[in-house]
Amino acid sequence: MITRIRSGFSLLSVICWAAGGAVYAAGSDSPLLFVDIAAEAGLGAPTWCGREEKPHLLESGGTGLALFDYDMDGDLDLFLVNGWRLDGTEIAERGRNLFYRNEGNGVFLDVTERAGVGDDQWGTGVAIGDVDGDRLPDLYVTNFGTDILYRNQGDGTYLAMAANPSVEGWSTGAVFFDTDADGDQDLFLAAYVDATLEEVLFAEPTLLWEGLRVMVGPFGLDGLGNRYFRNLGDGRFEDATEESGLEDAGLFYSFAVSALDLDGDRDLDLYVTNDSNPNYLYRNDGTGVFEEVGLWSGAALDEMGNAQAGMGMAAGDLDNDGLLDLFVSNFWKDVSTFYRNLGDFIFEDVTQELGLQQSTYLPLSWGTTLSDLDLDGDLDILVANGHIFPQADQAPTSSQTSFKQANLLLLNEGGRFVDVSARSGPGLAVVESSRGLAVGDIDGDGDLDLVVSNVDAPPTLLRNDSQRRGSWLMIEAPEALRATVEIGGNRLIRHRVIGASYVSVSDQRFHLGLGRTDQVSKLTLLWPDGSQKVLTDIEVDRVLVFSR
Amino acid sequence: MKTKISLTVLAVVLVALPTMAQKTPEKVVAAYDALANIILDMREAEYDFVVAVLDGHAHGAKILFERGNYEGAAAEMALFANEGDNAMGGVRKRLLEGGHHFNAEGEEQGVFEPGFVVVTREAKQKLLAASSALRQAKDDVARQAAWNDFAQVVKPLLAGE
Repeated sequence: MITRIRSGFSLLSVICWAAGGAVYAAGSDSPLLFVDIAAEAGLGAPTWCGREEKPHLLESGGTGLALFDYDMDGDLDLFLVNGWRLDGTEIAERGRNLFYRNEGNGVFLDVTERAGVGDDQWGTGVAIGDVDGDRLPDLYVTNFGTDILYRNQGDGTYLAMAANPSVEGWSTGAVFFDTDADGDQDLFLAAYVDATLEEVLFAEPTLLWEGLRVMVGPFGLDGLGNRYFRNLGDGRFEDATEESGLEDAGLFYSFAVSALDLDGDRDLDLYVTNDSNPNYLYRNDGTGVFEEVGLWSGAALDEMGNAQAGMGMAAGDLDNDGLLDLFVSNFWKDVSTFYRNLGDFIFEDVTQELGLQQSTYLPLSWGTTLSDLDLDGDLDILVANGHIFPQADQAPTSSQTSFKQANLLLLNEGGRFVDVSARSGPGLAVVESSRGLAVGDIDGDGDLDLVVSNVDAPPTLLRNDSQRRGSWLMIEAPEALRATVEIGGNRLIRHRVIGASYVSVSDQRFHLGLGRTDQVSKLTLLWPDGSQKVLTDIEVDRVLVFSR
Repeated sequence: MKTKISLTVLAVVLVALPTMAQKTPEKVVAAYDALANIILDMREAEYDFVVAVLDGHAHGAKILFERGNYEGAAAEMALFANEGDNAMGGVRKRLLEGGHHFNAEGEEQGVFEPGFVVVTREAKQKLLAASSALRQAKDDVARQAAWNDFAQVVKPLLAGE
């Protein structure tokens, strides 16, 4: 085990917190404070998604992002997927994906060209995995076109592989995970609708919505099938969609995907959000064979039995019972849904019980996270919002919506979520049409920061300058499924969640806010083969690094 | 199928063209009448087909329940509630995309889910609740209660009431 100790605040954080706090936090009962520092961090380049008027559905989806340490220097770097800018029926700009190295001093340096990842296809999403077992994070980009796998060469550069596993067309979410316990990482790809570039370029807004003409879809457009590729262990992948049981039986419109152990049997199951259709929940039997159990698990529909417009998702163990709960972000004028995991693949819609109905009803929601943002030991929620129709700005007042929307910050107060968006600093006052969201400790001060991708605009980098309600631990333990800490008589559990959010990747380390404590009495790490690592009497506010 | 019907209609119209004057030729009317029968029969056949699918899920649920396979029974109950699995949902989506709504008026009134043929929204909610209750039931009394709730909703649906 290697222990890296990073204590408390940086001087910069303290100064900014003090300044921001005087304006936004005084008299406020929100302990959370976020400041958008994208511009000063060098993240000024926009990511594109079609035309201003968005006549085709492809132009509504935005792009994802990834926070991961590509050069293994201990801090989180940023990959931003980019789309195209269109002008009428012409391609005005083929947006190049953007890769930024975290310089560790609050600045991100554009290393796209040097790293060799500046592809200019119309990008949609991203996944991070280790496809060749060299312990270096490889990069996978989903596109409207052919997807690309980049292998990390360990010298700060990537090599685009000639033969990729790919969905031809509009692929969206992607995850690498070892489905069959053979030691290598397989790939699941979600796809949305079947469309051609010609259809996109010549699309017209013909659907009548709130008295306005807007883009058509997804109904009226053919779905495109999700695919699963098995890693053969020698750098090649084979399509094993049908034999694995990961078929997209309904050709539903899929967006976010996450691999996670939902029944505690130490293999990774799969959850897929579907727009306007029931979400998929695939149960892994431990050998890489899956059974779709969404409809009868209770996690595919809301409590009324309705299919919703699943966009993004988050997962976390809200009540520390050892079972991962699910939060699915949905469309405007429909609530985002929280599914409590009752065990044995039974889920209960507890949206109302948790106080989420009112706050999530009007936003059109995408990327999201369940993370402890104030370090008090429970999980809070942040949701990226933005409408798909630019015409929403001309909609009747009764629509209560707009294309650009503020993001939503929901503070966990005793098991109910309180909307503190308006009281949590200038970062939450940013109004954009947001899509992807990734979480990680970007400045190394122990609390979680966020990056949000925005349609036709630069990203928002939300530095967490919140009032601290406790200590923290960051645990790097590759492949571990679960980290359990005991503090006195209390227990906190964090699970491995791969993917989730919306076509984006968050830092894969376990982050634990601990509440007010100086010491953790016990830490237990669990791996898929059942092996455990147990440590006792651990000092807090530090990064712990484990190998198997 | 679509192509064959189109060609048939075209052929009938072409044959009838020389006689076209003040009225629609009888052969054309007859062909349209035959088409109408097919269209109306198709609707009835769709209803009967979905009832047969639902009957299969109800029967499967009953057998599994009696065998004590409660997870399997609950799954069949949920499939009944959803008028089939996701593959059936995909077919339903295709029909909707093609402009076919079996219960268009009922959908507008909120009685039916889009594309659903037999199971109403209210019934769906009750059936899903029964399925979930069966999976969570701790004893035979609770299991039987869940089954009774399911059976009570299923019976009139299959009887076309």
